[in-house]
Amino acid sequence: MDVDTGRISPVEFDREHSRRSFLKTAAWATAALSAAGIGGFAASTRFASAQAGPNYPTYQGLGDAAIFGFALQLERLEGTFYARGVDAGLFSGPALAQIAAIRDHEMAHVDAIAGTLAAVGAPVPPPPDLTYPPGTFDSPGAFLQLAATFEPVGIGAYGGAAAALESKDLLAAALSIHNVECQHRVAINILNGVLPPNNLAFEPSLPFGAVAEAVAPFGVTAG
Amino acid sequence: MEKQTINVPGAEGFAQPRTRRDFFKALAVAGVGAAAGTTLLTSEAFAQGGGDADIFNFALTLEYLERDFYQKALDAGVLSGAALGVVTNLRDHEQAHVDAITAALQGAGATPVANPGFTFPPESLASQAGVIELASVLEPTGVGAYLGAAPMIQSPDLLEAAGTIAGVEGDHVVAIKNLQGIVPPANVAFAQALTKDQVLAAIAPFMGMGGGSSGGGSSSGGGKAGSGGGQLPKSGGPGA
Repeated sequence: MDVDTGRISPVEFDREHSRRSFLKTAAWATAALSAAGIGGFAASTRFASAQAGPNYPTYQGLGDAAIFGFALQLERLEGTFYARGVDAGLFSGPALAQIAAIRDHEMAHVDAIAGTLAAVGAPVPPPPDLTYPPGTFDSPGAFLQLAATFEPVGIGAYGGAAAALESKDLLAAALSIHNVECQHRVAINILNGVLPPNNLAFEPSLPFGAVAEAVAPFGVTAG
Repeated sequence: MEKQTINVPGAEGFAQPRTRRDFFKALAVAGVGAAAGTTLLTSEAFAQGGGDADIFNFALTLEYLERDFYQKALDAGVLSGAALGVVTNLRDHEQAHVDAITAALQGAGATPVANPGFTFPPESLASQAGVIELASVLEPTGVGAYLGAAPMIQSPDLLEAAGTIAGVEGDHVVAIKNLQGIVPPANVAFAQALTKDQVLAAIAPFMGMGGGSSGGGSSSGGGKAGSGGGQLPKSGGPGA
């Protein structure tokens, strides 16, 4: 299908059926994410609200090592998700190339963060026992719906935590990864047929509690 | 957990301009302050050590540059289809960034710099391909500038705000790569900070310092500098 187009393009599936199916089978996950305020927010106003009530203070008590330890678990959640998506054979052609690349990026983040923690003698949390909503890996539609939900969580976490980091080196690394998560969000938009895919004027940060609440149903716990 | 500060071995590559002094020294040497018609980027301000207002005014100048280019691209009438939609949003986003940074500066009691006015190579506005090509230079430059300057921002409020903008410049990188037919468009594991020299090299051709219309050639160097993938694994590798 899109193998010959020379670029990634919307993956073909019944979007309405997929949406209903996803919302039905993954109600527990979407409810958690929705309760956390993720998805559907008025992002264009977030810069102003960030001025009024920034989210970095919610990460400040954690310390650099715990923040990066939590980031490690988020990357494992994402990396495992994309790896399973590739292994499930849901995609082909340029779409597969993109999903595989995102998997590789998330795994590179896992390696970099784990390596950083180990290098400084900080505790490296063991891999969490991850669980994904039923049906996640049964169809491209369900998978891409969840992908579109995951990426803003990672973006929000890094965006919120960055200013709470004491180490300027870690700050630089966190924002580098943050930027890549933003790039993933747009790539997923393209696969989901969102036009234009660059659809936000600001990439919202999220408070720690919202992120923790959002990922808890998947088996990720903080600290 | 006990609070702990981590020093990452070898992670210096993420933010080449290590200090405000280095960053603004480069700006002063290159004459960007004068070209931009700003008083905040003068040698006097630099001598005082710079500050968040200086960083945000530099960011404002970059946002002016991008906004103006996309507006000119739309006015040129050479865009259609998916590219028209993408570039319309690019223009809108950069305008929103201009407005937000202006408001942030004013809120902090600082004076936003005026738009210095920019010149663009005629070929960059003559066709859709030309627009996309220059956009592919500007967007990684924006990402790299924010990532390079972020560690020098002192106010955590402003730092978080800057992150919300830097991420959008990353969004733009992928949207443009997709228009270029790069598969896959999201193709770097780590976004790269740019050095002061790289940012200046990328924007100088449009600042009226090098004879506007001849700026196209040198601009491509900045794009290449910005499109390479930084490799954090090397810094974290020893312990992995």
